[in-house]
Amino acid sequence: MSASTKMPRSSAPKPRPRELPQTDGRESGKATSPPEKTRRAASTPFLLDFVPLQAPDQTRLAQFYERLKEGHLSTTRCRNCGAIHWPPRVACPDCHAEDLEWIDLPSTGRIYAFSAVLAGAPLGMESEVPFAVGLVDLEGAPLRVFGRIDGRPWNELKIGDTVRVESLTLPDGRVFYRFHTPE
Amino acid sequence: MSAVRKVAIVAGATTPFGVRPTTWSEMAQEVGAALFRAEPELRSEDVDSLFVGAAEPERFAFQTHVAPLAAEQMGLAPHRIIQRTELACASGQSAIRSAYAAIAAGLSDVAVAVGIEKMNLPSMAEANTAMGCVMDRAWDGPHGATAPPFFAMVAQRHMLEYGTTEEQMAAVSAKNHRFANTNPHAQFYSKTFDTAKLARLPMVAPPLRLGDCSSMTDGAAAVVLAAEDHVSRYTDAPAWIRGSGQYSDFHNLAHAGSLTDWKGLTRATHEALASAKLTIHDIDVAELHDCFSISEIVEYEAMGWCPPGAGGKFALDGRSDIGGDVVVNPRGGLLGCGHPLGATGIAQAVEIFQQLSHDVPPARQAPDPRYGLVHNLSGSANVHSIMIYEGGGAG
Repeated sequence: MSASTKMPRSSAPKPRPRELPQTDGRESGKATSPPEKTRRAASTPFLLDFVPLQAPDQTRLAQFYERLKEGHLSTTRCRNCGAIHWPPRVACPDCHAEDLEWIDLPSTGRIYAFSAVLAGAPLGMESEVPFAVGLVDLEGAPLRVFGRIDGRPWNELKIGDTVRVESLTLPDGRVFYRFHTPE
Repeated sequence: MSAVRKVAIVAGATTPFGVRPTTWSEMAQEVGAALFRAEPELRSEDVDSLFVGAAEPERFAFQTHVAPLAAEQMGLAPHRIIQRTELACASGQSAIRSAYAAIAAGLSDVAVAVGIEKMNLPSMAEANTAMGCVMDRAWDGPHGATAPPFFAMVAQRHMLEYGTTEEQMAAVSAKNHRFANTNPHAQFYSKTFDTAKLARLPMVAPPLRLGDCSSMTDGAAAVVLAAEDHVSRYTDAPAWIRGSGQYSDFHNLAHAGSLTDWKGLTRATHEALASAKLTIHDIDVAELHDCFSISEIVEYEAMGWCPPGAGGKFALDGRSDIGGDVVVNPRGGLLGCGHPLGATGIAQAVEIFQQLSHDVPPARQAPDPRYGLVHNLSGSANVHSIMIYEGGGAG
């Protein structure tokens, strides 16, 4: 799973890294976790934190997060049947082969549907309310991706709006992706 | 293996649903007491098997290994099959389907299917986190996904594609809340909501308002299922299982397709109707999974009561009310009763059992029903589960 194949990219700028404020309310993550590692202090609870553990000793998809740190949203493609997966996988659901390769995905897409969380947010996300979420059809790839939509407020979004993939870094070094409206 | 045996629900009971000052285990005791009160002929030693529908006791009650705990709390000592069934919001019907399969196969004669969920916690952010775990936690959870924004997107697309209105969604909620006013165990038994009041409630996940969403609810429900040669010991008005169907479409939100065409529900409905040798128009009373008002609208369409896009009008025109094509959610639905995840599917079955034996208040009794249907869905409409029942001594 080492070869990288670039998908045709749109002319939009590549995803920008952005610092994400500490959202999980834990103090220990800051002090004990080196920024380049996702391994956490043994006493740090992680089971109420949705952002996955990302190090190679925790997941076989560590490369997804490594590529995201470089600003690329990526996924797996099956070398046997050519299927492009979302989210990335370790075995193909179509032909059941395990010979997959990484490909970068386009960095822009259009909103298929969206809503907003105005109440009832999970732990650590209460202070971010209201926030928009939506399903986005990536430009030039046969994939729909769900994610947070930052930027313009939810009541100024429209179906069909273009959004850009953005990578975010947590204080403990983990990364995740979101969408962002154009400035 | 002997031939498949006929199976019926012969008794049922629920606890009050709501924000309850009680624990998971205490509700297990309550529903056990209620079940034995509802069926005086039932003896603990009759119950050879127990199926416990519980979605997230680990999260909400910090408790796993709940099947033997429930048995002990209910005063049961199952000696054939004891297990938990977990299918998020459809854990309850999953318990019933498992009991049905066991009895039909001859592995059990008399089984209890119970659903119990404790959801209200001092910190509701913890409870909302548990709801987030129903989604694909690695890919959907980090974005803050829970059920409301998903079903809000269903509503948004339905409004865009078919012109469905907030007024039509409110008509579903107003109907189910009106029925809940006949059900003393409903979370909103003593609260009235007309469409004007519903339109003034705050948005939770636009375009869904508070009254379009079912609640976080504590509650429990139980039914007794019996093999054909054990039914008459308990009742002369059983609810015979006539058909069953289930279909699992997807899990990750990105794979939800058009959002408005619930193909999995259509397939599960066809399977259930085919196994019962019925059409959807034979169904007199139905408990549909109205976790959100828009859900019930899409369900009318996917299950074949009306064409795609006509579900909003179907509700507004009263065709899912008493006097319409089919009476939908007469106990008050999830919108009126609340939605204690594992208990919902069982409480739906209790209502159909009581509807078919004319054992509900007249204000919500479907006129002389013969066939009843329960639809219980899970997560973001990921799994659809259907049961079809026939009333009377038609075994």
